[in-house]
Amino acid sequence: MPDDVIIETRNLTKVYRDFWGRQKVRALKALDLEVQRGEIFGLLGPNGSGKTTTIKLLLGLLFPTSGQALIFNRDATDVKKNERIGYLPEESYLYKFLTAEETLDFYGRLFKMPKRLRRQRTAELIDQVGLSRAKKRQLREYSKGMTRRIGLAQALINDPELIILDEPTTGLDPLGTRDMKEMIVDLRNQGKTVIMCSHQLDDVEDVCDRIAILYEGELKELGRVDSLLKVRDVTEIHASTLSDKAQQEIRDIIKREGSEVLSIGNPTTTLERLFLDIVSESAEHPGRRVTGGANN
Amino acid sequence: MVIETPQYPFFEWLPLSLMSFLLVCGSLLAVALVFGYLVAALRHGPIRAFTITARAIADGMVDLVSISPRRVMALTWLSIKDSIRRRVVVVFGVFILIILFAGWFLDPGSTHPLRLYISFVLPATSYLVLALVLFLSVFSIPADLKSKTLHTVVTKPVHASEIVLGRMLGYIAVGTIILAVMGTISYVFVLRGLNHKHIVTQADLESVGTTQEAPDGDSEAPQSTGMQKGISGRDHGHRHEVRIKADGRGILERTHDHWHPIVRKTENGETTYEVGNPEGMLVARVPVYGKLRFVDRQRKAAEKGINVGDEWAYRSYIEGGSLAAAIWSFEGITPEAFPKQLPVEMTLGVFRSYKGDIEKGIPGSLLVRNPKTGLTVEAKIFRATEFETDIQNIPKEFTITPSNVYYLDAIKVSEAEKHANEEKDAKDEKNAQTAQADGEQEAGEQIASYKRREAGDDIKNKGKLDLFEDLVDGDRVEIWLQCLAPAQYYGAAQADLYLHAKDASFFLNFVKGYFGAWMQMVLVASFGVMFSTFLSGPIAMLATVGVLIGGFFRTSVIEVARGENYGGGPAESIIRIFTHQNVTSEANPGLQTDVAQMCDAVIQHCLGIAARLLPEFGQFSCADYLAYGFNISSTWISEHGLTVLAFFFVLFVLGSFILKTREVAR
Repeated sequence: MPDDVIIETRNLTKVYRDFWGRQKVRALKALDLEVQRGEIFGLLGPNGSGKTTTIKLLLGLLFPTSGQALIFNRDATDVKKNERIGYLPEESYLYKFLTAEETLDFYGRLFKMPKRLRRQRTAELIDQVGLSRAKKRQLREYSKGMTRRIGLAQALINDPELIILDEPTTGLDPLGTRDMKEMIVDLRNQGKTVIMCSHQLDDVEDVCDRIAILYEGELKELGRVDSLLKVRDVTEIHASTLSDKAQQEIRDIIKREGSEVLSIGNPTTTLERLFLDIVSESAEHPGRRVTGGANN
Repeated sequence: MVIETPQYPFFEWLPLSLMSFLLVCGSLLAVALVFGYLVAALRHGPIRAFTITARAIADGMVDLVSISPRRVMALTWLSIKDSIRRRVVVVFGVFILIILFAGWFLDPGSTHPLRLYISFVLPATSYLVLALVLFLSVFSIPADLKSKTLHTVVTKPVHASEIVLGRMLGYIAVGTIILAVMGTISYVFVLRGLNHKHIVTQADLESVGTTQEAPDGDSEAPQSTGMQKGISGRDHGHRHEVRIKADGRGILERTHDHWHPIVRKTENGETTYEVGNPEGMLVARVPVYGKLRFVDRQRKAAEKGINVGDEWAYRSYIEGGSLAAAIWSFEGITPEAFPKQLPVEMTLGVFRSYKGDIEKGIPGSLLVRNPKTGLTVEAKIFRATEFETDIQNIPKEFTITPSNVYYLDAIKVSEAEKHANEEKDAKDEKNAQTAQADGEQEAGEQIASYKRREAGDDIKNKGKLDLFEDLVDGDRVEIWLQCLAPAQYYGAAQADLYLHAKDASFFLNFVKGYFGAWMQMVLVASFGVMFSTFLSGPIAMLATVGVLIGGFFRTSVIEVARGENYGGGPAESIIRIFTHQNVTSEANPGLQTDVAQMCDAVIQHCLGIAARLLPEFGQFSCADYLAYGFNISSTWISEHGLTVLAFFFVLFVLGSFILKTREVAR
């Protein structure tokens, strides 16, 4: 595993079974994936597509039925890897009877951080996520947005190299969403690797460098966001404001190769469009890999 | 006090227990490995299963050795906070409420008030704390799994062992704090509840000329004037006989397990009596137990005394008006340990074949015998009262009379008889164990009977015998108990007669009593957390309660497993119930009996294994020691403490392993 590869999954498969060992559902099918150092990687998929299962497998919360997940070149079940990881779960699963300060102090102690460092880090993070005024309140009194913020703070307590975010913008207001996205980009700019899964397609589009789209446990698409969103069989022309007459003329000129063309390029569709197309195509042709939006 | 299980010295107990512990752990490990391998083989095939099993063991070992105290402390702190959040303080409220109203129901006039108070406060406290710790521990990890808070913990560099240890220690800490507070309240409650004073006035007393023997054994010379006796005023449901000596000091005689000092004061011609607080009630007697054996009516050595038909075979009986005796052999009898006298305390069972004078006790005698020379002196004649502790002080010096000193010579069995006995004992393993436990057979000293021989002039001319010079051999001495009333019987068990060496601190004994409750709490917390690593909260609670009940009835379960109970095993018993068969007769022969007995063989085998893995829960309670005023020995504390530690360790390892090998998420 090269040094630049932070996460690697090989043929990663997860089958859920019932009490008697009978197969209930095949949640993930032979996933091969690599996440590079310093990128923001998005996992997309409809409900039940296997993205949360993937994250749980990466964190060692679930054990693979077959295949392997490696993080920092260590098996996903190895506790030692967690020293370099920060994890924000889908809903901030934190102890509601603790205050924000106690929460961060507790998680800091789990990283064996010295008391002085814990205090310093706690103060920094509480300030960073904007909870200074509520740091003495128990988490049970927090709004959902505040809970997400303290959740993010606990994920960053150890200054991790890899941050795994499960639906990071869920429950946040537009302002909070913007702040969260800025924070994610900022983390990437600090050289950290971020892997996130989200239903908010515009969020993913805004911050992710690469994405993987899963459907019914299978990898359907993988690549850079800008590349995936490019429509190659359509030419797009950007021109300055033109009168109706001019526009008509442009059309004529384009026909006869006249007038000034300000820009000619490939228009993009939206991520949402791409996502829906893939889901629809997958539903019509189960088992077939969709070749991506570039040729559509 | 009844002590059915013999207490072995620590260094005799340790190697045997350690060996047993290692054997059980080794067996459990082997079973776990085989089971784990089979499960893995079913899923992944035999070759990969081997790798998986080996890796699981290696990971488990790494997990155990890389425990970080700082992380464990963090998780312990979390458990304490979690407990506080779950309103553990409510238990204090319940306890205070119980204590407040307990006074209504505890009869202060009880004959044994300390027993009453201790048998109330100690169980009340321990059951409350056990219930609390049970609830906390069994719902801890399941609640974390349900709320998914465990996800944010296990995604930190936390080992499963640290989570389990943190939880166990957290709830033990909570239980300890609560137990300490409740214990303090209980102590104050007992002191306040038992403390009382009687009113004694001039009108209650009359002048007498002589004193009687004081309870501490000091005898007073007869006084001619200034002495008084009478009856005190009633308080706490009882009165005392009052005896005041010429110097104005006296006592309210012992009744209801205590006595009071009293002082007569005369000021301005007015006489008043100042009665002190009760004494002799809050005691922690340090007993020296001997080894018990018997001789029958012809002074022949016997394994046991007579069975008078009592189902409970704890006590063995000796026949009155015969040569039958119960013999206790003591060691460690030195002038330093017993500087004044040899205080013998007895709680004998009395079986009357006729009623006789029911007000009077059955007469008996205590002989003191030198185990080496056989020199014997009749030390005391007394009357044994049932269900009461008789205190008899054997003096350091005995005045020799023509009939009270003689020899009881031990007649050893001939070599041929000895050989025959050995063969018999080899056939009957149980008898051999009993005999050894009773100390009947000592190496090279198998005694067949005793023969009386009159003392020579050399002894008789001495005029007096010294206890330590003439009757104690080194530090060994024998006390013989005989019943003097024909056709009446004394029942005796090993713990029924002991030498009262000294008194330890009652407060420390009280603390030790609560240590017993603490050990039970540790076991509950450990089992609760261990079960919660793989069961849901309610099921883990059922499992823990099951272990507790099984532990309480462990001895009975083992009896069933060994087939020592009447009516056969579980399957056979069911058939007997439905077919109305007597439990003491052989089951009706037939196919159904054969099948039932085959099933029972399997069930009993499994029961036997399960019962041996359970802690004998009742044994960790030392409420009886405290209630009956006996010091809880350091040996008891060490042996039971180590046993609890062993259970804690095994349950911790088991819980860690289960949590590590299970998926935290769903």
